[in-house]
Amino acid sequence: MKITKTKAFNVFFKPIWESNPISGQILGICSALAVTVQLKTAVVMGLALTLVLAFSNLSISLMRKFIPRNIRIIIELTVIATLVILTDQVLKAFLYDISKQLSIFVGLIITNCIILGRAETYALGNPPFLSLLDGIGNGLGYSQILITVAVIREFFGAGKFFGFQVIPDTFYAAGYENMGLMVLAPGAFIAIGLIVWLQKTVSKEKT
Amino acid sequence: MSNYIKSFLFAAVLSLVCGSLLTLASTGLKEYQLENIELDKHKNILKSVGLLNGEDAVSQETVEQLYSENIGQIWINVDGKIVPEQRKGKNDLQVYLFSQQGKIQAYIIPIHSRGLWGKISGYMAIKNDGATISGFTVYSHQETPGLGGEIEKKWFQKNFQGKKILDDQGNFVAIAIAKGSVKERIPESRQKNFVDGISGASMTGKFLSAGLKQTLTEYEPFSERFRKNEIK
Repeated sequence: MKITKTKAFNVFFKPIWESNPISGQILGICSALAVTVQLKTAVVMGLALTLVLAFSNLSISLMRKFIPRNIRIIIELTVIATLVILTDQVLKAFLYDISKQLSIFVGLIITNCIILGRAETYALGNPPFLSLLDGIGNGLGYSQILITVAVIREFFGAGKFFGFQVIPDTFYAAGYENMGLMVLAPGAFIAIGLIVWLQKTVSKEKT
Repeated sequence: MSNYIKSFLFAAVLSLVCGSLLTLASTGLKEYQLENIELDKHKNILKSVGLLNGEDAVSQETVEQLYSENIGQIWINVDGKIVPEQRKGKNDLQVYLFSQQGKIQAYIIPIHSRGLWGKISGYMAIKNDGATISGFTVYSHQETPGLGGEIEKKWFQKNFQGKKILDDQGNFVAIAIAKGSVKERIPESRQKNFVDGISGASMTGKFLSAGLKQTLTEYEPFSERFRKNEIK
């Protein structure tokens, strides 16, 4: 059997592009708007979310046979909240500057629809290993879009890439101006909209 | 019935596990976090007097060394008189002193102001003439990134350097954030008491101006003593 046909492969790679949480399932838009002004915060946010998502999927999947149905959402949220607070604490202890920049958004991972969505639709009904892969895959899919949007916004909004000036001063001297719209939320909407469009067009051609 | 008991039991055990995990992390990491916060404050104090530029990465040792060599901490009462730390009352104010070669170069005032979304905390350094601002930094705020959040950026903080808290007649007026560019909005005689505002963040500017005025007024007796050369 080819590796691309195995279930694990699909579980891992599908959410990165085809059923991407942001551009395919349109989940987790809120934080995608907020942390994509700069590339640096987008990368850390992507990593933090991937980590939380992987472990929440894993732990919920491990407990899936014992979780009482009537309180499952509460259980899922408790697990997610615990993981998010842990991440926040670790960031504060070891990556203080970045945690300052992400400020409130790490805490808001708790409310990120992707995490609860994956726990509810996937981890509750699938074995731990696949759930872990699904978590990492979705996390990477989310990070991928976040990073793309951040590159676009940082480039057009501030003329920078990863904090380094890439548009030379001579351009500014000649009358070039940064696009203020890109720094604000509408800029993210437009960028995400374009990505969704691109993604839909590409996947249509495939099938 | 047994279903209910099962749910309760499960919830209780899970809460216990999550709770102890969090307690463990919080107590275990507290030391590192406090160290980071302290280091960040020291960095900001050094930045406000121009000993650090805030861009180059500096090691913790460099920061601590610079800090211990140049910065001292004192308490003053409402009349601007220095009080010993053991006898400080709850109305007394904290000031940091930047001294070199035994002479005070500048004094640094902790700033706590209201912002649009939360508290803004930072430091303002004023030169030993008691009137000229040598630097302003922000180490914690909750303003919108890209808008009010720009107060933590260098371009905004740099505007404070060299501005005065006195007007032409030598009266105390504090420093305020203009709505827009100082050059266009403020008459020339008052330009030295204003810094450029942030577009899209008038409210942040308004609150911070008010906060700065309040804090500087509280420290005014101390500043006045510097202007009268009573403190060297």
